Amino acid sequence: MEARPALSIQRSGASQLSSLGVSGGLSSSLSIPSTHLEGTYQKLPDIQQVPSERELTTRPQAHATRVPTNNGVVGHIFSSSSGFSSDLHYSSVLPNEKHSRNSPFISQSLADTASLPLSQSSSSLLPQPTIPSCCNKENSGSWCTDPDFLDFPEWADQLITCDDALTSNWNELLVDNVTNLEPKMACQVAKPCTTMPAQNQQLPSPSVESLRVVNPSSSANNAPAKPRMRWTPELHEAFVEAVNQLGGSERATPKGVLKLMKVDGLTIYHVKSHLQKYRTARYRPESSEGSSEKKLTSMEEISSLDLKTGMGITEALRLQMEVQKRLHEQLEIQRNLQLRIEEQGRYLQMMFEKQKSGLDKLKVSSSNPENPAATSDATKEAPTKSELESSQRDHLDSGTGTVNNAKSMLERSSREMGGEDMATEAGDLEKTKARVSETSPEQAAKRSRIEE
Amino acid sequence: MKFGKRLKQQIEESLPAWRDKFLSYKELKKLVRQISSAESCVEYGKADAEAEFVHLLNNEIDKFNVFFMEQEEDFIIRHKELQQRIKRVIETWGPNGTKPSEAEYKDEMAKIRKDIVNFHGEMVLLVNYSNINYTGSLAKILKKYDKRTGGLLRLPFIQKVLQQPFFITDLVSKLVKECENTIDEVFPVEQEDEEEIVKEQREAITIAGKGIFRNTVAALLSMQEIRRGSSTYGHFSLPPMDLPDSDLIHSFQLNSPIPIV
Repeated sequence: MEARPALSIQRSGASQLSSLGVSGGLSSSLSIPSTHLEGTYQKLPDIQQVPSERELTTRPQAHATRVPTNNGVVGHIFSSSSGFSSDLHYSSVLPNEKHSRNSPFISQSLADTASLPLSQSSSSLLPQPTIPSCCNKENSGSWCTDPDFLDFPEWADQLITCDDALTSNWNELLVDNVTNLEPKMACQVAKPCTTMPAQNQQLPSPSVESLRVVNPSSSANNAPAKPRMRWTPELHEAFVEAVNQLGGSERATPKGVLKLMKVDGLTIYHVKSHLQKYRTARYRPESSEGSSEKKLTSMEEISSLDLKTGMGITEALRLQMEVQKRLHEQLEIQRNLQLRIEEQGRYLQMMFEKQKSGLDKLKVSSSNPENPAATSDATKEAPTKSELESSQRDHLDSGTGTVNNAKSMLERSSREMGGEDMATEAGDLEKTKARVSETSPEQAAKRSRIEE
Repeated sequence: MKFGKRLKQQIEESLPAWRDKFLSYKELKKLVRQISSAESCVEYGKADAEAEFVHLLNNEIDKFNVFFMEQEEDFIIRHKELQQRIKRVIETWGPNGTKPSEAEYKDEMAKIRKDIVNFHGEMVLLVNYSNINYTGSLAKILKKYDKRTGGLLRLPFIQKVLQQPFFITDLVSKLVKECENTIDEVFPVEQEDEEEIVKEQREAITIAGKGIFRNTVAALLSMQEIRRGSSTYGHFSLPPMDLPDSDLIHSFQLNSPIPIV
């Protein structure tokens, strides 16, 4: 593949490595021109080459000395096969996003109003899948020597089948892993999905838990010198260790720390800024924690606490804690809800797609003899569909009442496509919502703990 | 209350330094209006308008990401530092420490408690920030866009958003939980008579200033409001919120944000 020669070119120096973030830059603005796309994919092999050389021969356990919390780290990493489904999911999404950032493409595809959004995403995915699978075939080339590579064959297989039945793959994913997907998202403590390509490369090298360069950033327009780094506690621990080895935060230099940490993808800029924050945090623990508004806050906190005299500071603090906990709980519930809603929405879209393509095929193939059969099938389905719909409409309760518009949308499109399954899906979605909104906080908290 | 107003209120009630980090809902709304009215205008063209819109949204998302990750980084550092601090205090002034001193110990512990609770609050507020930007703003503005322009931008775009760093708040949530555990250890065990006094005084507590506590309460109330009921419930709407202790929280009277002299 032509990416190979690019390897040697790309491997020039830290600045190139730091721009690896570009590949993960799913959130980057439109400013990334389409030419970058190729550049991005060419850079991918570069990144994975570097870690693979270094870390290929090491096993997770071997890193106990280097990184104290390694076991915890491995847990964070997508080392389980379920993680791969998420990876696959993200990898399928990636090309889509690349495209969606390409404005001409959007206008083309969206001009076609007849097609549903996911139709364009799946069609955009189809020509593209060669790229991620290509890149990952590259991976396989370099990593074959590592027999311990976590579930690699399964993962590679999944990616390679990307070429073929992309949509069905998605279905499997969603169907099998619809429950897994959430917990996986929760598990991604240190793994933002935008580093999808980076993730794929990190899988064989668990010690590079820290390589999470995300989002070349708002400065995608500017120098690639400042890609955004997403720090994790483990990474921070390694950092602290390195700093201590060098004699403390005052004496340590960014360069020295960078060398000691030996984390790929970490640039001196990252270390510098982190060191700065670290120093600030250490030497101003009282007035606390970084920002200037904090002073204002603590002052006002004290006065507000005074108003609660008679309660005692401890009690006031306890109360504050309670409220904060409550807010956090609610936020988690809300977030889970959002994720599920979107998931269901996606799934439904997939169903539409399937139905639509199925029906199209039917229309095409049923030239003559099957024609009557097809139409009779369609008419048979329609009445049963509307039965289902009306029954669902009935037991739609106004309290949750969330799916009214969805229902009409579904009804319209279902009638066109004659899909029974979607009606049941809509029913499921509604039930889910009802269930979720009734969930007591304890259950929700439990759920979120489980998902962790 | 209209969403835009509510959002504005929430922004005002948030930490001062964060105020410009929220989605520029108003501007985006204007753009949407422009786009829908410019539909007929051949010059501008729908494609361009959409591109512009997407471009702006991407910029906003970048903004969120950068801010969020900065804060997250800070939190990681401070979290560690707090734990170190607690250890140091226990080791120095604690009963088995090198220089045991009950007075000092109590003193330091009180400070630590305050700091920890505020720290916890800040982290929760960051999660809240992420949530507001997602639900409140992005989801809403995309919905508006699709509605106004008949576009189909929402679904794929939202998928993308779901994977953005700023939306993936797992790490911060984890830190929050760890913080809660630490707090449990650091706080003395609540005694019974204290509880009663507390309950009495909970009735009328005025929260002055822009403190974190105030923000938290405001955030909760806003969240409840947003989810209370909508004329446009859709497939992707959130059901109403189930907030226990809702009365308690409502009982906190929030002063208007006038600086304390």
